[in-house]
Amino acid sequence: MASVEYIQYSKQSLEFLRSNLTRAALTLSPFIFLIIYLSVGKYNVDFSSLHQLLFSDSIDRTIFLNIRLPRAIEAMIFGASMGISGASVQTTLKNPLVSPYFLGISSGAAFGAALSIAIFGYKSFFLVQPAAILFALVAVSLTLGLSKFRGQFTPVSVVLAGIIVSALFSGLLSLIQILVEPEKTQTIVAWMIGRLYTITWADVRVSAPLAILGILGLLYFRWRIFVLSMGDEEAKSLGINVERERLLVIFLASVATASVVSVTGIIGWVCLIAPHVTRFLVGSDPKVMLPASISVGASFMLIADMLSRTIWNFEIPVGIITTIIGAPLFLYLMRRALHEWH
Amino acid sequence: MSGIEAIELCFSYGNNMIIRQATFELQAGEILSILGPNGCGKTTLLKCINMLLKPEGKVLVDNIDLRTLNARDLAMLMGYVPQMHSPGFPYRVIDVVVSGRTPQLGFSVPSEKDYEIARNALVRVGVSHLADKFYTQLSGGELKLVLIARALVQEPKVLLLDEPTSHLDFKNRIIVLKILREIADDGIAVIMSEHDPNLASLVSDKVLLMRSKGDIVGYGSPKEILTPDNIVNVYGLNIEIFERGGSRYIFPIF
Repeated sequence: MASVEYIQYSKQSLEFLRSNLTRAALTLSPFIFLIIYLSVGKYNVDFSSLHQLLFSDSIDRTIFLNIRLPRAIEAMIFGASMGISGASVQTTLKNPLVSPYFLGISSGAAFGAALSIAIFGYKSFFLVQPAAILFALVAVSLTLGLSKFRGQFTPVSVVLAGIIVSALFSGLLSLIQILVEPEKTQTIVAWMIGRLYTITWADVRVSAPLAILGILGLLYFRWRIFVLSMGDEEAKSLGINVERERLLVIFLASVATASVVSVTGIIGWVCLIAPHVTRFLVGSDPKVMLPASISVGASFMLIADMLSRTIWNFEIPVGIITTIIGAPLFLYLMRRALHEWH
Repeated sequence: MSGIEAIELCFSYGNNMIIRQATFELQAGEILSILGPNGCGKTTLLKCINMLLKPEGKVLVDNIDLRTLNARDLAMLMGYVPQMHSPGFPYRVIDVVVSGRTPQLGFSVPSEKDYEIARNALVRVGVSHLADKFYTQLSGGELKLVLIARALVQEPKVLLLDEPTSHLDFKNRIIVLKILREIADDGIAVIMSEHDPNLASLVSDKVLLMRSKGDIVGYGSPKEILTPDNIVNVYGLNIEIFERGGSRYIFPIF
């Protein structure tokens, strides 16, 4: 008996140690990748004197403070927003195959940006971001509005409405592209490519506040998000105001993702992949999973953007990298998950 | 009164009347079984009682009108165990059970104390060994017990169960009913829908017999209501009744 208890005890403490190690690793990983990210690149920044790097008027300082740092920060904010938004949307809709992009955020944002470029030209580029955010929210509202069928609001109807709305906005985007002058079309295409090489501190200032607000909001709601995944009637009988709270969660996720997309363009797959990687690492435990998805998303984007800067002798837009990593990774995780769940 | 009272509940989808004038009362500690053929409105009646639907008429729990309560306060009075649960993500059983603390928790994450309550509920329904399993991998009977545990964690005054014995084997049905009897004996009013008049008689203090379209044939003690006449009237079956040790058993004649 004693040995059985001992084995059980040590198994428990091993489990405890394992989960704590995972947590520690997940908390630290974005910062570790940040340090690596900042230290690699085409130009070899001299890190020997931190003082000189931060306060002297050198090219090293410019590259470090005005090019690499804002880009790294935006990568992290982008990944964090996509991670937790994807995880929240999947959980509230009880559907591991959806993401904020599925609700029409990406096509709405692209349409908004294109419309702004078409009307105001690329000289008023500062208008592109608010237009992208605005139309991303318009697209999501439309999706949610259309998905309310006979007063019912089901996960399946949300996904179908999302497909319809995305198709609509993609069509309108194409229309804009053929109607405007070729230079504007080029600008629109350039905006749509998901990239981080254009990021400056100004972009960080535009996108960070709303993104962080969305992230914190979702974190605050994480327990309700979990209970929503029990299904509408059960969530209701557990004291959740289902319609209102689900809308709020989707709204917060939309705000967070739209605000980063408005400065980076359409970087795909992160909001779908990051939640799955997170579940793979920490399981579905609601208390752990949502915070962890922030960290996983941020780390994933830092790695992807590091690859985009270094694997070729010119920059590959990070959206291409996330798609190339994302698609096969998603396939692998899905197969594994389906195997494990059933 | 301490318990639940439903007064003239009516519900219709459009012109289609599903529930007609359902009136009953149940003391804390009693079990009410709702019987009737498939599609007669048993589930709809349950959903009217816990306000998932919006019925006409009143439901009072400890003299509080449920229509005046918000979702959270309602969840503190009434637990609900659905007939079917389609699992989404592979949560641990203990996490599913602890979600029953949501009305008490509000927006915060459960504490060690809440987990303790959840573990005790699992012990009470006899499946504490499942705590760390994925609830996606449970059998039908295990899942039902886990969902009952979750409802107990709400610490409700009234527990509603939609066909708690459906899809369960011979033994598991009895296990579930015994547990429901114990729960009632601890002072909770239990309302469930049930198909088998014999099982209903075994545990119920009261039964409510429905015919198609929410017509209520009778409400009272099992002996009063589950008479040959009523059974023939509702199900159109020929039956034979056996009496043994003060209990009455109903068998269909083939």
